[in-house]
Amino acid sequence: MNLERVPNEEKLQLCRKYYLGGFALLPFLWLVNVLWFFKEAFFKPTYTEQPQIQSYVKRSAFGLFVWVVILTTWISIYQTNRASWGATGDYLSFTIPLGIP
Amino acid sequence: MTAGVGVWLGLGLVLLTGLCQGNSVERKIYIPLNSTAPCVRLLNATHQIGCQSSRNGDTGVIHLVEKEDDLTWVLETGPTPPYVVLLEGSLFNKAILQKLKDSSRVSGIAVSYTKPPPAEGFSLDVKCPSDGFGLYTSERGSQYAHCNGTVWNPLGTGFSYEDFSFPIFLLQSENETEVIKQCYRDHNIPGNDSKPHYPLCAMQLLSHMHAVTSSATCMRRNSIQMSFSINPEVVCDSLADYNIWSLLKPTNISGTIPPEEQVVMSAVRVDSRSFFWNLAPAAEGTVSALVTQLAAAEALHKVKDTQSLPRNIMFTFFQGEVFDYIGSSRMVYDMQKGRFPVRLNNIHSFVEISQVALRNNSVLWIHSDPLSRANETVNTEVQDMIRILKAASKGANVTVEEVEQSQALPPASFQRFLRAQKIPGVVLTDHKDAYHNKYYNSMYDTAETIKMEYPSGLPQEEALEYVTETAQALSEVATLLAKTLYQLAGGNDTVDIKADPHTVTRMLYGFLVKSNNSWFQSISRPDWKDALENKQPQYYVTASQNGNKRPPTIPTRLLMSVLANITGQVVNFTKEECQNPDKAPDSKKELYDYIWVQGPLTGNTTSREPFCIRSTMHNHFAESPANDLNDWGSTEYSTWTESRWKEIKARIFLIPSQELEIITLLTGLAVLIISFCATYFINAKADILFTSTEDSGSAAY
Repeated sequence: MNLERVPNEEKLQLCRKYYLGGFALLPFLWLVNVLWFFKEAFFKPTYTEQPQIQSYVKRSAFGLFVWVVILTTWISIYQTNRASWGATGDYLSFTIPLGIP
Repeated sequence: MTAGVGVWLGLGLVLLTGLCQGNSVERKIYIPLNSTAPCVRLLNATHQIGCQSSRNGDTGVIHLVEKEDDLTWVLETGPTPPYVVLLEGSLFNKAILQKLKDSSRVSGIAVSYTKPPPAEGFSLDVKCPSDGFGLYTSERGSQYAHCNGTVWNPLGTGFSYEDFSFPIFLLQSENETEVIKQCYRDHNIPGNDSKPHYPLCAMQLLSHMHAVTSSATCMRRNSIQMSFSINPEVVCDSLADYNIWSLLKPTNISGTIPPEEQVVMSAVRVDSRSFFWNLAPAAEGTVSALVTQLAAAEALHKVKDTQSLPRNIMFTFFQGEVFDYIGSSRMVYDMQKGRFPVRLNNIHSFVEISQVALRNNSVLWIHSDPLSRANETVNTEVQDMIRILKAASKGANVTVEEVEQSQALPPASFQRFLRAQKIPGVVLTDHKDAYHNKYYNSMYDTAETIKMEYPSGLPQEEALEYVTETAQALSEVATLLAKTLYQLAGGNDTVDIKADPHTVTRMLYGFLVKSNNSWFQSISRPDWKDALENKQPQYYVTASQNGNKRPPTIPTRLLMSVLANITGQVVNFTKEECQNPDKAPDSKKELYDYIWVQGPLTGNTTSREPFCIRSTMHNHFAESPANDLNDWGSTEYSTWTESRWKEIKARIFLIPSQELEIITLLTGLAVLIISFCATYFINAKADILFTSTEDSGSAAY
């Protein structure tokens, strides 16, 4: 969808939907929201809905950041310690690499 | 300049491929090595042993090591690491293997098979086989544990039980070894400037193993995969096959036999192993005893009055014994649980034959267990057995002698029975203390080791019948065993029992030289005839898919065919009746087992005369009780498993220098980029470049 052709009210609705949708453990929606509405929120001449869009984009970015931090921490802990966790490590894994501990 | 040559070479190659068609490029580049034996990964409760290559195989420049000094090039001076060491079989020893194992400049080892075998002996097994799983442990008989007192296999280096992070292959064919050596000589010997000149001859060894760490880990991963994954990838399998057992007096085995019935057990092991996968000729280690017991069984089945003996005799052939007593521990386990027709209380006495072909002055040694002999009743019965053995040896060409009573039992299946119950019993061997077998559990334990010698130029059919000295000597031991068992079963000593040296020699030929011989053909089941090969059978137990009762392994099939044939009777059943005894009248299915065999060739034709054999032979699934208990960390039962793999292969090829490889890659990239640019510009300026004159346009379309 090309945002240029969408009226401002609809933009706000869309941004809001993405922002709320992200709470359903879907950080990618927040990522999309940030990327998609970044220009709208900060680089377009001011319009009535802009402050609200700005706040949604900021909140989405914050949520995304929290997710990135959590996932990065967990993945690095998991990857470095999976072998030493033994059975627990295996039960936590979806695919188990062949031929390495 | 070089780049230009490279481009032209490449172009030439592409043209050549076009002309030759198919995948001949691969055939032009690689020479596959077809007769190799890999070292694979096995696992137990705590360790992984064997070898592992990387996922796509390990490649290295070949260096031939014919003497110890050649190692310096590989380990220190050679300028093009990593190396694949082409090792002479005689140098495959502890010191060299340790050096190669510790070096980071080695990416693999290819060992050539030496003939004759190393005179000083060769055994990569441990000094104290199956330690910890026999009778003597730290808790029980600790004064005998860990071979304290007698080291059974002093030549053992233990490398069969170590973990290697690179692949090791055995080159079984002399021709292939010669091809590799020629490639090495042509390309890899350094020139006058003591630098090798590219291209160099390299070898790639692929043996990537899926299982890792321990049996507990791989079994857990198996079960996770089986329950969650859409596309389950099993990583290891337990080692399992069948124990074979047979009773002298036909007995109803549909339930357990009555407690008052007594059975004399005679036992041998059927399997062996070596450093390499599925390579275990085991002439002295296994076959010498196996053949002896078979010959004794035949001799006893010929005796007329055996049906009136007060006790029964049970001939037992255990599988998987080399891997911490899989077969015997399973039988004891099933006996204790009442899942086997015979129970431990039914066992009157136990005679086990271990390695018996290399006797000094025909002396056969009697080993017994000092722990159970501390019990007065057991001691009396053991003394009685020894007296019977000594009496039976009178007049025979065998002398029996007793080892000191304070000496522990050698590794034997009997130890697993003694763990469960104090049973009077003896183990008969050719060695007093350390093994006489210099090649215990190695690839050199072949027919030559037990001195099976045939006159040169003897045709196959005559060799099959030719009674070697070894066969003669083993038939004497078999006679002794048969007489002893007969008397232990309550028979008197006046009956003439004699093992047939002709059967012994035929069995030795089939089990050690060539299983595809006329006798084995005639006694084999038609659907098992693929088990017969024009070479000696291998006695590795092999892995069985977990829980799946697959058909018996090749050595077990051979054993079943022979045992049924020499102890059974031909019955007049049709093929249908023989394969489904329910349909036959008076088949007594609970007493007998029936097999339909190919039969001998008729006259000069290629057709055979099949027939049905009835015998008291039965099989018993030999998988470690650890699987039944789902306890893969067990210290009580064998936990050995074999890793799975996708592909195992070895090949040689020429590799160019790194500079040439980089130049080739860069040239390729340059050509790619240039063609992109050219296409872009041509496309952009298409209207100028392809100005169509009026007439050519109409002609083209």
